Amino acid sequence: MTQAVGEAPAAAPRRRMSVSAVAPFLALALICALGALANPRFLSFDNLTNVLARSTFIATIAVGQTLVITGGGLDLSVGAMAAFISGLTILFLNSGLIDNMPLLIVSAMVLALAVGALCGLFNGLTTTIGKIEPFIVTLGTMGIFRSLLTWLAQGGSITIRNTDVRAAYRQVYFGDLFGVPYPVLLILGVAVAGAFILYATAYGRHVRAVGSNEDVARYSGISVARVRTITYVLQGLCVALAVIVYVPRLSSASAATGLGWELTAITAVVVGGTRLKGGVGHIWGTIAGALILEVIGNIMLLSNLVSEYLIGAVQGAIIIIAMLAQRGMSASR
Amino acid sequence: MSEAGEKKRAGAGPDGPVLEAVGLSRSFGPIEVLSDVSVSVRAGEVHAIIGENGAGKSTLMKILAGHLAPTRGAIKLDGSPVELKGPVDAERRGVVLVHQEIMLAPDLSIAENMFLGRELRRGLTVDDREMNRRATEAMRVFGVEAAVTAPVQRLSIAQRQLAQIARALAVPHRIAIFDEPTASLTPVETSALLGLIRELKAKGVAVLYISHRLEEVKAVADVVTVLRDGKQVATKPAAELEPVDMARLMVGRDLLALYPPRPPAPAGEPAFEVGRFGAAGFAEDASFSVRPGEILGFAGLVGAGRTELFEALFGLRKGGGDIRLNGAEQQWRDARAGMRAGAVYLTEDRKSKGLLLEETIAVNLTLASLDKFQRGPLIDRAREARALDEAIQRFDIRVGDRTLLAGQMSGGNQQKLLLAKMMQLDPRVVVIDEPTRGIDIGAKQQIYRFIAALAAEGRSVIVISSEMAELIGICHRIIVMRNGRVVGEVAGEEMNEHAIVVLATGVSTNGEDVRT
Amino acid sequence: MKRILVSLAVFGLMVGAAQAQVSKTMAVSVPTADHGWTGGVVFHAMEEAKALEKKYPGLKVIVKTSPDPAAQADALEDLSTQGIDALVVLPHDPNVLTDPIRKVKNKGTFVTVVDRIADDRSIYDLYVGGDNPGLGASAAQFFKKALPNGGDIVVIRGLPIPIDKMRVDAFNDGIKGAKINVIDSQFGNWSRDDAFKVMQDFLTKHPKIDAVWCQDDDMAIGVFEAIAQAKRTDIKFVVAGAGAKDAVKRVMDGDPMMPVDVLYSPSMVAVAMDVTALGLEEGIPVRGDYILKATLITKDNAKDFYFKDSPF
Repeated sequence: MTQAVGEAPAAAPRRRMSVSAVAPFLALALICALGALANPRFLSFDNLTNVLARSTFIATIAVGQTLVITGGGLDLSVGAMAAFISGLTILFLNSGLIDNMPLLIVSAMVLALAVGALCGLFNGLTTTIGKIEPFIVTLGTMGIFRSLLTWLAQGGSITIRNTDVRAAYRQVYFGDLFGVPYPVLLILGVAVAGAFILYATAYGRHVRAVGSNEDVARYSGISVARVRTITYVLQGLCVALAVIVYVPRLSSASAATGLGWELTAITAVVVGGTRLKGGVGHIWGTIAGALILEVIGNIMLLSNLVSEYLIGAVQGAIIIIAMLAQRGMSASR
Repeated sequence: MSEAGEKKRAGAGPDGPVLEAVGLSRSFGPIEVLSDVSVSVRAGEVHAIIGENGAGKSTLMKILAGHLAPTRGAIKLDGSPVELKGPVDAERRGVVLVHQEIMLAPDLSIAENMFLGRELRRGLTVDDREMNRRATEAMRVFGVEAAVTAPVQRLSIAQRQLAQIARALAVPHRIAIFDEPTASLTPVETSALLGLIRELKAKGVAVLYISHRLEEVKAVADVVTVLRDGKQVATKPAAELEPVDMARLMVGRDLLALYPPRPPAPAGEPAFEVGRFGAAGFAEDASFSVRPGEILGFAGLVGAGRTELFEALFGLRKGGGDIRLNGAEQQWRDARAGMRAGAVYLTEDRKSKGLLLEETIAVNLTLASLDKFQRGPLIDRAREARALDEAIQRFDIRVGDRTLLAGQMSGGNQQKLLLAKMMQLDPRVVVIDEPTRGIDIGAKQQIYRFIAALAAEGRSVIVISSEMAELIGICHRIIVMRNGRVVGEVAGEEMNEHAIVVLATGVSTNGEDVRT
Repeated sequence: MKRILVSLAVFGLMVGAAQAQVSKTMAVSVPTADHGWTGGVVFHAMEEAKALEKKYPGLKVIVKTSPDPAAQADALEDLSTQGIDALVVLPHDPNVLTDPIRKVKNKGTFVTVVDRIADDRSIYDLYVGGDNPGLGASAAQFFKKALPNGGDIVVIRGLPIPIDKMRVDAFNDGIKGAKINVIDSQFGNWSRDDAFKVMQDFLTKHPKIDAVWCQDDDMAIGVFEAIAQAKRTDIKFVVAGAGAKDAVKRVMDGDPMMPVDVLYSPSMVAVAMDVTALGLEEGIPVRGDYILKATLITKDNAKDFYFKDSPF
C-alpha cells in the first residue's frame, strides 16, 4: 500500500535515524551504570571480560542476523545450526585424521566455516529460488539441524576425547591478546567486517535496497535472489565463527547447545535498532543489543535485588522499557 | 495581487454555501504551508482548487476532510462552525475525500476494499454477493469491466484509482472532495469521471476538485481558486479564466511554450527492434522499432498492455519474442541484462518500484549503477557526491538539503531523480513510462525538454503515456495499443487526439470531452 | 546398580519357570532426547527393548519418543489403538498426561509410570522412580561430613519444576544444624552453558566459596570450566548428581574436586521395563511403588556404576 506523504517539509526522519542509532548505546550505558550501583564488582575487569566473552556467541550470530533481516529475510535456524556445526567439529577433532595438533584444530575451524556456509547456502537457496517464506524454511532447517546433532550424539553429548587437544583448543576461548580475550577480539572483528560490508560496499547497499523495497531493487537491475542468498551464507559463516569459540569453552555439544539462541539473537538485532521488516540495519546497535541482553542477566545475578524466580520477568521488563525509551527519544526528536 | 480581493464571501442561507472555510492556516513546525485561505462551495457547484505541487492544495483538502486540524481559521457547514474530529467524523457529516495516493489493501479484492470497515452483513456473515453486485455496478459507471473479486494488486494503477473513487463515493455524502483524481487516468476514463462529477452536481452534491489538468478544470468547474506557496492568489468564476490564465496565476509568471521544439525526425537504420513480442496474459505479437534520436510514443487505454509489454521486454515479468539492439539479438532475463546491453526502463510507479523512499537522493541516484562507483570493494563516496552534483545541475533537482530522503521530495523532483538515476547508465535506449504523472506544470515542461535532449544526443527514446496531448507534443511517431495488441501507428499530420482515440477504443468517438 | 540387583533377584525366581508362549506387546513412551539425561533414558530404553525381546521370544517391545506433552498424549492414543498389553511411560508432565494415561489403563492395560509421578496415583499399576528428596538428602549428608566446621556454599538449581523443589527442600533440610550457609542460589536450567554463566557470576560476586552443589552432572561441566577460568582455589569441591559416565569416571579416578556423585540414573526406565516384563511374562505380582535409592557414588563403589558404552 502506498502511504500518503504530506506536503509538510519534514526534516525529522533524518535526525530520527541518528537517534535510533545512538539509543542502544545510551541504554547500555544506563544499564551499566545501574549495574555499578548494584554491585561495585560489576565494573571489575574480570567481570567485564567475562560478560563480553559470554556475549560473543549471540553477538557474532546477531551480526549475521542483522544482514539477513536488513535484506528482508529471517533465520530461525541459527541455534540449531550452531549445535550441528559444534557436533561435527568435535567429531572431526575426535577422528584423529590429522596428527599435527595445531593443524588439526585449524582444519576443524575451516571445516566449521565450510559447513556453516553450506547450511546458510541451503537456507538462502530454498527461500530465494524455492520462493518459500524464510520463516518456514528456517523453521524447517532448525528442526533438521537439531535432529542431526541429536542423531550424531545418539541422544547424549559429544565431547572432545583427547585431553591434549582439549587443553590446546581451550585457549581459543580462555586465552587473550594483551589482556583482551580472544572472543572479545572476535566480536570486534565480526562487527567491523559486518559494518564494512553493510555500509561501505555496493553489496551492502544492495542488501538495504532489497530489504527496503524488493521491486525497486529488481527494477534497478539488482538480483534479489543473489543478494538475499549471500546474506544467509554470511549468517552461516557467523554461526560457524561463534561455534569456533563456543566449542573450546566446554569442549562438548549436546542437544541443549544453542537452544533459544535464534530468539536471543533476533532480540539483540531489534533492540539494536534494526527494523524487523528490513531495509535498515545497525551493526553496532546489534552489538550493543547483544551486550544489553547479557549484561542484564549478569546484573540480576550480581545484585540481590530480585528473587531468583523473577529474573525472567525483570529481564523482559527491562527490554520492553529500553525499547519504549528508544521510541520515546525518537518521537520527541 | 489584485485577484486576491475577489474572494467570495457568501453568507449562510438557503442558497448559501454548504461548506465554507474561513481564513484557514496550517503550520508544520515553523513553516506555514497554508496561510489565510478562504473558500466556499454551494450545493450543485464544482469548485476547483489549482496550484503547483507544494502550493498547499492537498493540505487544504486534508483540513476540509478532517485529516488535519487547521492552526488557525474555521470550517463552517451550512453556516455553522464545526470542529472536525477526524475523517470518520467528517464522513458522518457527509464530507468524503478521494485521496490522491492510492490507499487500498493490495491483497483484498475491489469489493472488499470498497466496503472495508463498513461491510454489509447478513446475519453473522458478510453479504459478499450483495457487495460484489454493488461494486460491479460502481465500477461499470467508469466503464471498467474488471472482476471485483480480483485482488487489487492485480489491477493497473488507473483501475485502482477508479476503485478508490468508487469506494469514497459509496458513503452517503453531500460534499465530495477529489484530490487529483485523473492523475493516472487515460482520456476515456477521465471523461467517464467528469461525467460522474456532472451527475453529482445535478444531484446537488457540492464538489471540490483539485487537478493539474487545466483543460479538465475549465471543462468541469464553476469556480476556480488558485493557490501559490500556500496563499490564495485568486478565486474567479471558471468562465472568466482560460487554461493559459490559470497556468500564469499558478506559476506567477508567463509560461514559455509547454513543449520544446521537436528535433527533426531522424532517418537511418533502427537501433532497437522488437518483433512479435508478448507478455503472458497482457500483450501479444507486438512489433515495432525506433531509430537513434527518435522519440516514439505508446498510447492506449488503461489495461491496453503497454506497461506490461515493456516490463516483459526488460525481463521484469513473463514474456517472450525477438529483441534486436543495433542488429544484435538480445534476450533479457532481468533488468540488469537490459542495462548491460544499453537499454533502460523507467517505471510508471515511481514510489513503489522506482525509488527507495526511505533512502537519500545519493543512494537512489547510484543504485542501478553502483559498479561504476566502486574503488576496490568500497563505494567511492567522493565520486558519488560528484555524480550527485552533476545530476542536480543537469536535471534541475530542487532540494535544499542533500540528506533529504527520496520520499520527502515532490513528485516532480522524484521523477527527475529517477531519470537521473537511469541516465547514470548512459543508455542508448530509454523507455519512460508515464513521465509526468502527478507532477506540476513547471516540472512537466522541464521533463519534456530533457526527453528532447536525450533524443538530440542520439539516444532512442520511447515514451508511454496516457496523456495524449504530451505524446502529440513531443513524439515523432505514436504507436497505439488496444487489448494487448498494437493496432496502429500515427505520425506527422495524423498525430491528433481523435485519430489516437479511434485506434485506442476501436470505435469512432462522439467527441465528448475529448478535446482536439 | 539397583537394576542389576533387581534383575538378579528376579532371575532367581525365574529359574525353572516356563517361558510364556502367547505373544504380548509392551509399549514404552518416553520424551525425545532433548538433553543429556533424557538422552540416557532413550538409550537405556532401546537397549532394554532389545534385551527383553531376546529374553522373551513372544514379547514385542515398541519404544516411542515424543517432543512435548501434547505429542506424547497423541502417541499414547496411537499406541493404545494398536493393542498393547503393557505401557511403560515416562511422562513429560505427569499432571498434564494423567487423563491420557488413565484412558489406556481403563482399557485393561498394565501401566507403569517412571520417574515423574502424578498427584492422582490411581492411574498406574507400578511406579518406578528415582528418589528426588533422597538426591538432595544424600548430597546434604556429604556436605555435612566434608565440611565439619561449616562453610559458605552456592547452589545451582535445575528448572523450576516440582522435582527440583523436592531436591532443594530436602537438601536444605539436610544441612540444617550444620554451620553451612547457602550464600547464593540460582537456576541453571540443567544446561551446562547456563551453569557456566551462573558460576562465573557467582565467582565474581563472592570472594570466597567453599563448595558448590549443582544437582546435575551436565551442569557440573560448566561449573568446572568457570572455576578453572577464574583460577580460584578456594572452592574445595563440587557435588553434582545423576551418575553420568564422565562424572562417575572422575569420582572413580579420585578427582578431589569431584569426590562423590549422587545416583539418579536414566537407566530407571530399563528397571521399569524389566519389572513390567516380569509381570507380563511370568505372572509375578509386581504392582506397587519402586523407589531407586539415591546412592552416593564414591571412589570405592564407582566402578559398579560406570558403563562405558552409555552415551550419558
